[in-house]
Amino acid sequence: MSDIKDVNPAEDGARGLSRRQFMGGIGALGALGVIGGAVAQVFLLPDEVIAYPVSGGFLLVDQKKCSGCSTCMAACAIAHHGAANHSLSRIQITQNPFKAFPYDIDPVQCWQCDECVQACPTGAMHVDPETGVRTVDQLRCIGCLRCVAACPRAVSAVQWSEEGHASQKCDLCLDTPYMDDEGGIDGRRACESVCPMRAIKFTTDLPEQTEDGYSPNLRTENWASFGYVADIEG
Amino acid sequence: MGNGYAGKILRVDLTAGTVSEIETEQYREWGGGHGMGSAIFWDLCADKTISGFDPANVITIMSSPLAGTLAPSASRLEIQGIGVQSTPEWFTRSNMGGRFATMMKFAGWDGIVLEGAASKPTWIEIENDRVVLRDAETDGLWGLDTYDTQERIWNLQVANSDGWREIGTKSGERAALQSAVITIGPSGEKKSRVGALIHDAGNAAAQGGFGGVWGAKNLKAISVIGSKDIDVADAAALLNARFSAREDLGVNVDEPKDGFGWARFSGNPSPAVMYPMPTDVGSRPQACQSCISSCRARFSDGLGNESSCEETYFYFFADMMYNQGQTTPTVRYSAEMVQRLGINVYEIDHGLNWLYHLYQEGIAGVGKQVDIDLPWDTYGSREFIETYQRMVADREGAGDILAEGMWRAAEHWGRLEEDTASGVLHYSYWGLPEHGYDPRAEAYWGWGSILGDRDINEHDFNNLFWKPSIAKWYGIPSWMEAEEFVTKFAERMLPFDPDPMMLDFSEDGMYSEGQVKLTAWHRHYTRFWKESALYCDYRFADFYSPKTEDRGGFTPEGEPLFWNAVTGDGMSFTDGMELGRRIWNLDNAIWTIQGRHRDMVKYSEYLYEVPYGGHLYGPYWMPTFEDGTWDYRLVTGRVIDRERMEDVKTMFYELEGWDVSTGWPTRETLEGVDLGHVADTLEAAGKLGGE
Repeated sequence: MSDIKDVNPAEDGARGLSRRQFMGGIGALGALGVIGGAVAQVFLLPDEVIAYPVSGGFLLVDQKKCSGCSTCMAACAIAHHGAANHSLSRIQITQNPFKAFPYDIDPVQCWQCDECVQACPTGAMHVDPETGVRTVDQLRCIGCLRCVAACPRAVSAVQWSEEGHASQKCDLCLDTPYMDDEGGIDGRRACESVCPMRAIKFTTDLPEQTEDGYSPNLRTENWASFGYVADIEG
Repeated sequence: MGNGYAGKILRVDLTAGTVSEIETEQYREWGGGHGMGSAIFWDLCADKTISGFDPANVITIMSSPLAGTLAPSASRLEIQGIGVQSTPEWFTRSNMGGRFATMMKFAGWDGIVLEGAASKPTWIEIENDRVVLRDAETDGLWGLDTYDTQERIWNLQVANSDGWREIGTKSGERAALQSAVITIGPSGEKKSRVGALIHDAGNAAAQGGFGGVWGAKNLKAISVIGSKDIDVADAAALLNARFSAREDLGVNVDEPKDGFGWARFSGNPSPAVMYPMPTDVGSRPQACQSCISSCRARFSDGLGNESSCEETYFYFFADMMYNQGQTTPTVRYSAEMVQRLGINVYEIDHGLNWLYHLYQEGIAGVGKQVDIDLPWDTYGSREFIETYQRMVADREGAGDILAEGMWRAAEHWGRLEEDTASGVLHYSYWGLPEHGYDPRAEAYWGWGSILGDRDINEHDFNNLFWKPSIAKWYGIPSWMEAEEFVTKFAERMLPFDPDPMMLDFSEDGMYSEGQVKLTAWHRHYTRFWKESALYCDYRFADFYSPKTEDRGGFTPEGEPLFWNAVTGDGMSFTDGMELGRRIWNLDNAIWTIQGRHRDMVKYSEYLYEVPYGGHLYGPYWMPTFEDGTWDYRLVTGRVIDRERMEDVKTMFYELEGWDVSTGWPTRETLEGVDLGHVADTLEAAGKLGGE
């Protein structure tokens, strides 16, 4: 294993990881990432690609369980901004009512990869040293939108906030001034707590990766009693 | 304006092709939705006696301060204006869920008011403050069905490579979600009285024939997309209320528990489809914005996405009959076709039953009294239902008559008197189809409809039929026995005393003061909490719950809890009921100006002459108080007693403070709800009720 070294990608021009590289990197570095997350922001792998400590938490969204009610979006905006606004939500539930299930809904939540962090020229988009959560220091954001473009999701999970004049993204509710409860990894996530289908779940375990990111099945045996296919085997 | 409101209402003059704004503050006292819509209609529709097809008809499309917030199941729309479906045409309402109300609010608008008629087919594109009236023919929308219309509009609004759309007039205004569109289909374009407004795959506002009204205004669609904030009064309280609603009252979809099949607010997310869920295709629940549960499905073949209730029922038996007892995808196909063509399903459902009966009697067919060319030998097939629906939507052949609604079609063919006397034409009130909850059994549903303007289609008390009846039909124990059931309802019916006799469905109970109070409570409750605050009919009112210790529901605490967190009003449940009564009085004043009188308040003849046999559902069990005990008892076999119905009307008018001889509002009552100016107008028109 190579030495752990602090690197500022903006300064040394380090190349970014592809999503697949990122996942592979995390697979190798998972435990180290959790341990090292508190002290280091970036790891240099043997082949000289850059990886970051794994996030201390992840949101899982079951695409087949989501009902598209978008309550999570309202909760996200209200918890962070004190106002309802789907454009300010850090989780986006896009849908087309005419498409066939399960392709009618595409829940877009942050995967906590690091494409946006690598794309940021100022370090505004960074890995929170305590939690490993990818988050934004909006005071350092210059509005170049590179992070928005870098996000591997079909709809960028990093948004431009017209209100804050800066990029923003899911912080697992670390900074939710309008929510009474503490957020973050050890606290409450607003979207998770309002989802009526319980299709959003927080985990500290590195999610199982597929070509499409995370595809968790959060359905239980009871799901079939409503007339839907539980598809428990995945 | 803040606190739930976007702050302005969009006013569109289709004749002039111009737009302007109304400050929402002007109508703030009405809360939202129906209240604002009635008040705006009162102010802007100069001649309220015109036909709904007249360009001067004013259509309001209103949201509520709750839309787009965390208020559960309250992101809905109320649509009002002079309808063209009923007989007579008059001021009426319809309602839909989905995403439109939410997106309209985020675009900065609490509602939309439509006036005039465009000179050519038009659609309205709204992106935040940017409002453009566009040519529906040039853009290729005119002539498309409702699904294709929406997809074509979405294709005109292309997202960036990062998946976000630049919208509005300022840099940085962005939205990831596609626009919300309300549109008419071919039926509306042909100015049909059975034309519906459709949004997404399964949200319809069909009562009133507003699809035909839009057609008469040359309005094909309204598309809206927004990125603005909706401020709330107390964000933390709102979040806490929603967290608590899920944990303390909402169904836990991961754990089975007794009683949730009975519940409303806490209800299971089972799709409200009336056919067996297909097992050969996958599906998910699908919900309107901010819903606490869900009531619709989307399928892995995409067929019949979002259709529920009547759309999924009207061709079910015909399909089974045609396919030797098997249900086929034709049922979902027929449901989707209703949505695509934009037709009121109740009209074509009751119409189809009526026509099939006449065909069997040798009365309907080519060259017959009811001269109609349908392939009856394939009744139950996909070919048949496609021919029938297209005939109605396109006004082809006899479809030109059917598009006027079945009541007028029966009149045209000389069948009205006979078929409404026998009940073959199952139209109960105001020339409109009966909902399935028959006035001879579920009395308040009938009283509310005949004392109002339309089939109420409000299910607050409907589980008093469904739940015990299902238990009886299938021989399973009732989750809650009759006395506890009615008590749970009564004790939540503020501001009335908690008298369970309001829920007595015995034959005497149908005509009792209690049933009259139930009817009035229902009118006031729905006018504000469900049509103005716009809580969903499927989730509210909530009288009982499988999740609380005392098995009591969320009403009356739930409604004001969310209202106040969003608006900061400090409104009580009873305040809302009183506002509902005020709105109800304004509506009656409008109907009075339009010619309404007590003498018109009559059911169709069959309800007085033909004993109720169960019709759609079979044996009808409801709670009754007889021989000193509460129990679930059969309430079929009854007719409406004409004289006792007159007593009900008198009691109702007295309770409302209206003139018992005419049913018109009185000055004292109108001034009591701060509508003195309305009393002045009625007096000038010679239509003010005596004290």
